[in-house]
Amino acid sequence: MAAGWRKGLARLQSIGIDAVLIATLILMVELLVVAFSGRRGATGLLLTAEQILDLLNYVWAAVAGIILAGSWNLFYRTLGASPGRALVRGVPEWESELEWTQTLRGWFTAIFIEFTFFAGWLITELDLYDFLTKFGKAADIVRGLAHPSASVLHEGLVLLVQTIFLAFMATAFAIPVAFVLAFPSARNLTRGTFLSRTAYTVSRTFMNFVRAVEPLVWALIFISWVGIGPFAGVLALWVHSVAALTKLYSEQIESIDTGPMDAITATGAGTLQVLRFGVVPQVVPPFLSFTIYRWDINVRMSTIIGFVGGGGIGYILKPRVDLGEWGEVGTLVLLIAGTVWLMDIISAKIRERIV
Amino acid sequence: MSGAPAPSTSSAVAVRVEDLGMVYPGGVRALEGVDLEVRDGEFLAVLGLSGSGKSTLLRCINRLVNPTEGKVWIFGDEITALSGGDLRSVRRRVAMIFQQFNLVRRHTVLNNVLSGSLGRARLLPSLMLTFPQSERDRARANLARVGLEDRASSRADALSGGQQQRVAVARALMQEPRLILADEPVASLDPALRHSVMRHIEALNREEGLTVICSLHDIDLVERYATRLVALRAGRVVWEGLPQQFDRTTFKEIYGEDAEPASNTGF
Repeated sequence: MAAGWRKGLARLQSIGIDAVLIATLILMVELLVVAFSGRRGATGLLLTAEQILDLLNYVWAAVAGIILAGSWNLFYRTLGASPGRALVRGVPEWESELEWTQTLRGWFTAIFIEFTFFAGWLITELDLYDFLTKFGKAADIVRGLAHPSASVLHEGLVLLVQTIFLAFMATAFAIPVAFVLAFPSARNLTRGTFLSRTAYTVSRTFMNFVRAVEPLVWALIFISWVGIGPFAGVLALWVHSVAALTKLYSEQIESIDTGPMDAITATGAGTLQVLRFGVVPQVVPPFLSFTIYRWDINVRMSTIIGFVGGGGIGYILKPRVDLGEWGEVGTLVLLIAGTVWLMDIISAKIRERIV
Repeated sequence: MSGAPAPSTSSAVAVRVEDLGMVYPGGVRALEGVDLEVRDGEFLAVLGLSGSGKSTLLRCINRLVNPTEGKVWIFGDEITALSGGDLRSVRRRVAMIFQQFNLVRRHTVLNNVLSGSLGRARLLPSLMLTFPQSERDRARANLARVGLEDRASSRADALSGGQQQRVAVARALMQEPRLILADEPVASLDPALRHSVMRHIEALNREEGLTVICSLHDIDLVERYATRLVALRAGRVVWEGLPQQFDRTTFKEIYGEDAEPASNTGF
């Protein structure tokens, strides 16, 4: 019974995969046909990529995809295994010797990859002509960047110091929180009881959610909470760093040697003592290394956070970009680049020493 | 099952194992219906191929893994029925020595020895790696017993394998145990150094009357140190007896027809 049920599920899986692939190919072909048909929209202009995507017959493509996928899976003996079938059940033996050009699946895959590039070209509106002929406007910016103006140097240096400390505070405050959260987030420590498994699920889910939200969005939230300024930036980077460090720390905990834990457990020690003696000594050096790396990342990120009002050097960069003061922008960009470069070297050196 | 019954001494039972079974998550069966009685003061050697369940048996006795069937008593306490503080207080009397030493590699030798006293240490100071002077003195004395008093402040991973295992013996001594579980204690040591570690375990057994359950795969070591043997095969006890009764036929029985003794001095 169970075997038959599993076989049916596998068949459905492979048909599902094939249906998605075939429908996608049909839609990509349709996209190209519409794009090259020269059709114009209501305004008389050529259709944009978004408008074409809006026009496609998704339902029909899906129906056709399902029918074609079904037939391919039904007649796989004559047509050869479909991509879905090959994925789910492996390439059948009688095909394993064949070159890709000798199977329908091979040709299908090749055509699919080709069309992905064609469709991608259209959807992202790549335009080599613009790229090669319209450098003029950008030349101003590049010229400005290459001729940094000294007028903003003083203010820039002051805010650069703020940026570095902003990143430092965010990282430092993130360490204790991430350290505590890392233990319940480590699979190997949370297999025992129902309580610990729940703690794992809760902390992992929470951290994945926090990490999924961009630091830029956190910055906006904290700016309306504590007002524009570096404190909002610290909070935004802090939240993001907690999530990122928790993940790195807990992965490190998952890769420890469990031998010392066993040995300490066997002495009759309690859970906290087992963690203190069996786990902590193994993870502290890599934790330090991750943390320094995180500080480095936070310096880079704080520039963007500053753009929306989170303090630091990004805060004065934004108005100068808007006003087109490219010389001053150039100065600030050079300051940032220099700092990032220095931090990178220093953090690499420290990490080398620790691990 | 062949061989003689356990020696008919009248001493108390140290460990009793009843119908012990272990199926790991994922369905691998490691032990099945193991019955065993270890008398106080015995040196019991556990034999068997790797994968025969020796490690699992030892780990079930102090509950480093939880058996899925059966019961274990240690000096009258049913450890398989305990949890929390009660389980820990039984573990305190049972020291374990591991094949891979399992020291805290980044800690000092002295700290590693002191970790043997964690079971009765006060929680907060122990988390700050602070131990009372009396325990520190005891740790030094135990290090001296295994001949490593001058290495107290070295990092554990700076020591050789044989020295690390002797530190593990000192850690075990810190527990003031009545029972020692030793899981292949010399298998990862240079053959020339094996007796240096085994002699310490033997001394605890002979001079202080500690009960020892020790898995070994070297027949020479078994014959020299053990007072009784049990052999496991595929998670079951297939032979039980005295070292003198162990011969070539028994060897084939335990290790299979294709096996040959690694050294020919034993027979």
